[in-house]
Amino acid sequence: MISKLIASVKKEALLLLRDRVGLSILFIMPMVLIFVMTLIQDAAFKTINEKGIPIVFVNNDNDSLGNQIANGLMHNDLCSYNDSINGKLATAELAQKAVADGKFLVGVVIPKGATEAIRKSVTNLVNQTLDNSNLKASTNIAISDSVEITILIDPVAKKSFINSVTSNLHEFISEIKTKIMFQTFSEQIADVIPDKKNAPKSAYSQTQIIKYKEVYASKNEDKIIPNAVQHNVPAWAIFAMFFIAIPLSGSIMKEKNEGSVFRLHTMPSSYLLLVNGKIIVYVLVCMLQFLLMLTVGLYFLPMLGLPKLVLGNSYFAIFLLTMATAFAATGYGVMVGTLASTEHQAAIMGSLSILLLSALGGVWVPSYVMPEVMRNISAFSPLNWALSGFYKLFLRGGNVSHIIYDVLKLMFFFFVTMIIAHFAHTKKRTV
Amino acid sequence: MNSTAIIEIQNLSKTFKGATEPAVNNISFSINKNEIFGLLGPNGAGKTTTISILCGLFPPSSGQVFIDGKSLETQLQSIKQIVGIVPQDIALYPTLTARENLSFFGHMYGLKGKDLKNKIEIWLEKLGLSESANRLVATYSGGMKRRVNLIAGVLHSPKILFLDEPTVGVDVQSRNVIIEHLKEINTEGTTIIYTSHHMEEAENFCTKVCIIDNGKIITQGTPEELISKNESTTNLEHVFLQLTNTKLRD
Ligand SMILES: Nc1ncnc2c1ncn2[C@@H]1O[C@H](COP(=O)(O)OP(=O)(O)O)[C@@H](O)[C@H]1O
Ligand SMILES: [Mg+2]
Repeated sequence: MISKLIASVKKEALLLLRDRVGLSILFIMPMVLIFVMTLIQDAAFKTINEKGIPIVFVNNDNDSLGNQIANGLMHNDLCSYNDSINGKLATAELAQKAVADGKFLVGVVIPKGATEAIRKSVTNLVNQTLDNSNLKASTNIAISDSVEITILIDPVAKKSFINSVTSNLHEFISEIKTKIMFQTFSEQIADVIPDKKNAPKSAYSQTQIIKYKEVYASKNEDKIIPNAVQHNVPAWAIFAMFFIAIPLSGSIMKEKNEGSVFRLHTMPSSYLLLVNGKIIVYVLVCMLQFLLMLTVGLYFLPMLGLPKLVLGNSYFAIFLLTMATAFAATGYGVMVGTLASTEHQAAIMGSLSILLLSALGGVWVPSYVMPEVMRNISAFSPLNWALSGFYKLFLRGGNVSHIIYDVLKLMFFFFVTMIIAHFAHTKKRTV
Repeated sequence: MNSTAIIEIQNLSKTFKGATEPAVNNISFSINKNEIFGLLGPNGAGKTTTISILCGLFPPSSGQVFIDGKSLETQLQSIKQIVGIVPQDIALYPTLTARENLSFFGHMYGLKGKDLKNKIEIWLEKLGLSESANRLVATYSGGMKRRVNLIAGVLHSPKILFLDEPTVGVDVQSRNVIIEHLKEINTEGTTIIYTSHHMEEAENFCTKVCIIDNGKIITQGTPEELISKNESTTNLEHVFLQLTNTKLRD
């Protein structure tokens, strides 16, 4: 039994080694893709990074909030700060026109009395809190946040760019808002309650926790925006792994067409054994591919002046996720090879479906910049499971516990493809 | 059941999915141990279909088959162990060498190690392929491929050997080598079932023949019996043409 499996692994490895076209699809294509895509995207990021994003700032508030935001933008390397348009002090109307004309990429308008409004709402909160002797209940009262800050965006700006800029802006503004709120809050409390060691402190910290969640929780996903290398290396590595479906399904089709299948099906060895031989070889190849892509990200991209790939903390988690991805990709290839009737059909079916799944999965354009609807569809692509898993590891320094769900989903996908392949195979054999 | 019969076929029929006419239509015959049995017929007669059923590639629509006393339906796995197959289409990996192909198929038949290596070398030598056995099969001539295809079916010394047109499309030299070694295998105890539409070859090679057309048996017996049945026929080809008429087949 073992010797049969070894023999079929050996056969499969030899077949693949001699398939020059297949090998170049598996190893050269993804490397080229990583280089090209990363260079293109990095160049786009750089032009913005060098001069900074042209921002026009309209400060109608002229109080803490407006001033602090202005100060923050001024000292941010990513922004090129302006508060005047053609020599005139910017107003909301002028700013809107200037952004629409493309003079600035982003405009920020802080309304009049914004700081005052925040202070007022905090004062109200404090009064309510103090009216109510039960301090714990006070945490249920939300800080009303009626200040409306307008962010203007150049309509021709790239969606991906806008998303990252606006989410950063939102976050930054919220941060300052919160700061002012708590400043006011603690001042008020200090005024009213002389003994600071008492209960109000706990109310303060509880309120802070709640507020903090309100500000950041919903943006948690968007907060992490990979650079070109962190995105492209795992994305194209996963793409390449799934592209294995083409040589793999081709090899299955060839076996059918070259008549070997007659002998294979009349031999005293199960067909499953042969399929297992294939799976072992192709899973190993997938993992090899991934290793190669990581090498590119770690050593070759930095040579071109690109950022170095950061791997995160858990090599074991990377290994586990890579293996699960490899199984999912291999299962997909077996399924395509079984469903197709000709080699040609398998190639077309394989490449088109993988292009589609990769586009949906966020390989070409990261799914966090996709519109909501697409992001929901994206969640059905196994490439997306793999990619979001690698984001967790590479960008957030996650470990096995963070990706175990993605690993399970990928393995489940593998089993589903094998079951489909089994039924398709049985059906096709009944003549 | 005949006591010396190693293969017993009863009322075998096969109608392919979507086909209106059966490819094999209610045929019955038995094959004795150590026989060289020729299943003869024009193209499309149903020879490959019959062989495929006997090898367990797909089940018949109806009828029963017993091979070495075992039912094909219920004991296929143990039948597979004692059967060798040389398919009509070359069943080899073109991008593997002859040795690699034979090693793989040998393993699949449960051979391994030194024993397998020796058997491969002996057969390559016998069929004049030792020199070229490290070349990719894709670079082989038709005759060479046929010979490797044959070896892949006999490496494990099967009790019963099915050959589907083993000499089709090969030169006289290859043909003679193949036939000669099949005879040798037969004298060592292997029962051979062979299909062909080459009547002269069958007449010399087979101990018994069965002529089928349109999935039906037309006649069966020893070549001598069939030839002497009718005064006007002097060889098997005459018999064949008389029985299957001269209409073109596809
Ligand atoms: N897989 C198949 N599906 C449908 N029809 C088939 C299939 N294989 C063979 N046939 C048909 O069955 C008949 C017998 O074919 P076959 O057994 O290959 O003939 P032979 O080997 O004697 O030339 C032919 O009419 C052929 O077209
Ligand atoms: Mg045939």
